[in-house]
Amino acid sequence: MSTVAAHLLVVDDDPINRRLLAGYLEREGHTVATANDGLAGWGLVQQEPFDVVLLDVLMPELDGYDVLARIRGHAALRHLPVIMISSVEEMDSIVRCIELGADDYLPKPFSPVLLRARIRAGLARKRLHDLEREYLEQVGHVVDAATAVEAGTFVLGSLTAVAARDDALGNLARVFQHMAHEVAARERVLQEQVRELRIEIDEGKAARQVAEITGTDYFRDLQRKAEELRAAR
Amino acid sequence: MTRIVAVHSFRGGTGKSNTTANVAVMAARRGLRVGVVDTDIQSPGIHVLLGVDQTTITRSLNDYLWGRCAIAETAVDVTDALDPTLEGRVVLIPSSIDASDIARVMHDGYDVGLLHEGIGSLITSLSLDLLLLDTHPGLNEETLLSIAVADTVAILLRPDQQDYEGTSVTVSVARKLKVPDMFLVVNKTPAAFDPADVRRRMHETYDCEVAAVIPHSDDLMAFSSSGVFVLAQPGHRLTTLYGELATRVIG
Repeated sequence: MSTVAAHLLVVDDDPINRRLLAGYLEREGHTVATANDGLAGWGLVQQEPFDVVLLDVLMPELDGYDVLARIRGHAALRHLPVIMISSVEEMDSIVRCIELGADDYLPKPFSPVLLRARIRAGLARKRLHDLEREYLEQVGHVVDAATAVEAGTFVLGSLTAVAARDDALGNLARVFQHMAHEVAARERVLQEQVRELRIEIDEGKAARQVAEITGTDYFRDLQRKAEELRAAR
Repeated sequence: MTRIVAVHSFRGGTGKSNTTANVAVMAARRGLRVGVVDTDIQSPGIHVLLGVDQTTITRSLNDYLWGRCAIAETAVDVTDALDPTLEGRVVLIPSSIDASDIARVMHDGYDVGLLHEGIGSLITSLSLDLLLLDTHPGLNEETLLSIAVADTVAILLRPDQQDYEGTSVTVSVARKLKVPDMFLVVNKTPAAFDPADVRRRMHETYDCEVAAVIPHSDDLMAFSSSGVFVLAQPGHRLTTLYGELATRVIG
């Protein structure tokens, strides 16, 4: 049974090997690009998004070690699964490649069963890595949203993509969005209340205070004098 | 006839002294001879705004009330210190800042007749056109006296729940003292409020004229109590509002 169709690169200076591998992989349903030396392979890797690279060790121009080192040293390609191709006699070089960061190796002559298993494992690693990257990106969106809420620049709906996830992160984004919405609504109501001037007076209390002030002999005396003084003016 | 205006607020911090000083200067700018009496005997302060160094005050309202001197002898003409180009005059009758004087007047009180008599004599001897009484917040006996002798009571308030009830008490008490003329000045109004709406609601609530709605101003706050704002900022929109208020006060 074939794995999910993927885009693969075969880098091998031996034309027979190259054709054999490409033909086999295409029959498995994958699309395949080929390069006949390390330099051409390195050029292609930078141009096209491959899911897995099959890389021969001994090649002219740029050998497999160099291509592998360049891939592992490149920020965007660092996690691209690389399967080294080698004969059984080259075990030492395989160990070196694994140490350099190769994911797996494929001994020559090829066994179709082993090739399929290795490709499948490489694709699984790639998918896992892609998921992890996407997850971290979306965690970043939630963190940015929290900062935006604090700064008062949060835009409702900016977490919709994360909220569509059916995992815990999606749930967090949904709850967060809901709470931010509630807070914004409450703030709006509060601002409207402030803008709308409300004058509430406890009439009973005010009347008691007036009675307290005006009920004294002093006040009655003042009232009388004020009236007299105004009349005399 | 000289108008006597008591400037009052139920709570402190409404901007009473500031409003009094600014209105006094705006009236003097129109050629009026304005007297300002600091009847806030418990916590005098308007002399600071009018640029009077308290150590130079030799006689105060207290001395008059205790029969030590004539009231005109306590008057300090602050016009030249404020702005020598003012057409009119601004004369201050300060209150004593001496703690024992304050304690004595609070303990003994003073007679309404005496204050009224003093005001009359002041108006005559200084030929005043307008007399402003800066009062102590609340409705203690001294403040009631100031209201009782006034022709007009200007009540300051902020559009603030804490001021509403006290203002209602003041309005009722002033009506019982049969003050002939009374109006409200809404001060420190937040920018979020519509001044026309504030005016309408205040009028509805107190059934009393609203003479001015003065917005909260960061410029005024920054200026603090270091002088008279209208002199420092003649082109400011608040200066225009104080001018309109002075027009209403002069009548």
